[in-house]
Amino acid sequence: MSAASDKRLILAWLVLSAITISQLGLGSLDALTPNAAIASSAIVIALVKVRIIFREFMEIRHAPALLCRLTDLWVVSTGVILLGSYFLGMALSKG
Amino acid sequence: MTTAARDTAGRSRFVPGQPDMWAFVLFESLVFTVYFTVYLVHRSQDLDLYRQSQTHLDLHIGVFNTLVLLVSSGSMARCVQAARECAYRTALTNAIWTLLFGFVFFVSKVFEWTTEIERGFTFSTNEFFQFYYFLTAIHFLHLLIGFVVLAVGVRELRSPARRSQETIETCATYWHTIDYLWVLIFALLYVVR
Amino acid sequence: MSAPSTGAMPERPSGSLVRKVAWHWRHDEKRELWIGWWTLVVFYNLYGLLFFVVTRTQPPPQPSLDPAGIVRWFDDRHHGLIYGYAIVFIVGGATAIMNATLAYSMRRMSVSRAFAYAYLVIYALATLPGMLLMGIACTVGAMRPDRDPELLSWLYDFAFLSFEGTMGVFLVGSLVWMAAVLLDRNRVFPKWFGYLNLCNALTEVVVAPAWIFKSGAFAWDGTIAWWTNMGVFVTYTAVFLTLLRRMILREDFGTGPLPDLPREGAPQASGSMEATR
Repeated sequence: MSAASDKRLILAWLVLSAITISQLGLGSLDALTPNAAIASSAIVIALVKVRIIFREFMEIRHAPALLCRLTDLWVVSTGVILLGSYFLGMALSKG
Repeated sequence: MTTAARDTAGRSRFVPGQPDMWAFVLFESLVFTVYFTVYLVHRSQDLDLYRQSQTHLDLHIGVFNTLVLLVSSGSMARCVQAARECAYRTALTNAIWTLLFGFVFFVSKVFEWTTEIERGFTFSTNEFFQFYYFLTAIHFLHLLIGFVVLAVGVRELRSPARRSQETIETCATYWHTIDYLWVLIFALLYVVR
Repeated sequence: MSAPSTGAMPERPSGSLVRKVAWHWRHDEKRELWIGWWTLVVFYNLYGLLFFVVTRTQPPPQPSLDPAGIVRWFDDRHHGLIYGYAIVFIVGGATAIMNATLAYSMRRMSVSRAFAYAYLVIYALATLPGMLLMGIACTVGAMRPDRDPELLSWLYDFAFLSFEGTMGVFLVGSLVWMAAVLLDRNRVFPKWFGYLNLCNALTEVVVAPAWIFKSGAFAWDGTIAWWTNMGVFVTYTAVFLTLLRRMILREDFGTGPLPDLPREGAPQASGSMEATR
């Protein structure tokens, strides 16, 4: 039991680290041209990482349904708000 | 809530640590989301300035900082699981590793700030740097509080008279929050174009 | 509200509000606590009305206004400033009763009384930057509208910086209350309220950049330095008013853990833990 959960933690950490290192590539792309794709993927990828942290490190997998839904709701609404602010801001600045 | 023989197969559901800490964590996260939103909206009003300024940040340090906090979260999660199985020495070791990685982040952040300041980019240089220093500083403050929280956790683990699983889990919940808040800050300041 | 105890406390009357209030005035053991609580409620509402509606000094104006703009600002609000702050100065002493009620909550806890005393001192001092200095600066400015615009600008800056930028007292005060709540074994407040104090304390730090910036999100009228902080503060105030009310309802004047409120419809716990006053 303990070895299995330990492996799971290490795997989660490896996945998170790999995603982080891949953002090195994403962030090194040409910095000066506007790129909604980079921005949205950065935000979405960050939220994927956050959800993994919630479920694996913070043990939400074992939590009661209410807490699971609350954290998922937070992840989704943060995504909506951040992406919304980004695109709305871009639209307003061009208009 | 100090039972060590809890079912870890996921069959019995439990709230990790005090529900109160979760309330705090979610509320603080909401406040941070407001800060992020303000940043993104301000950013869109002056894209060129922000993009130019972003090139002065070192992406490698950002990635390094993120990896350090992820490792620290990993060790904290292992600490909680070890404590649950009453392997308190392992738990204590992991808690101390968490503190050490936290300290590495601390040093790295101070180094990064010093470098930026030496290059002439201070809090009042321009709007981007206002947000950069603000977000990283408020996060840093949470990190400092995290050291206090970890100290409480280490104290719990050291004495057989204490070792409340709930307290250790509560401390872990707080520490992980510092980690995921940084994940978001990193994405918004260093990666988003 | 309290069950008939071993003492000679008569039954609560039904009927008009006046009769009920009169009964509480004469017989309720928690009379002083309720006076304290109601003072808090009335004062915060009045404060909101006076600062936001009468004087219109909140939400704050821009730090980047030029002297001519500042003269106009004082002009627009001439009567509001004078009469509004006159009322603030008269009722300002009520903060003593409010702070005493909050400090009482810490006295009821199992922690050292030093927490309550520290809180009292800090918040007694806090009325100066939190209310009075801005009131004085604004009324001085409003009193002689033909004053040199540079002087009016000085008063304007002094008013808003003293109000927004001096959050150190509230920061430490919140931390004191937080520590008391987290260490308390009498369950006076839920632990999440201790953490909410930390949230509030952190907002006091967030407002500090107001001393540096005259525009943007971190100026004294900024989206982050003012609006977000105000959101957290209003939430915090509404929460502690509710929790204080529950505390007073639960109060048994003992020294042990505070009993929980009975469920709706269930008979009240007997008054066996009577006053040890």
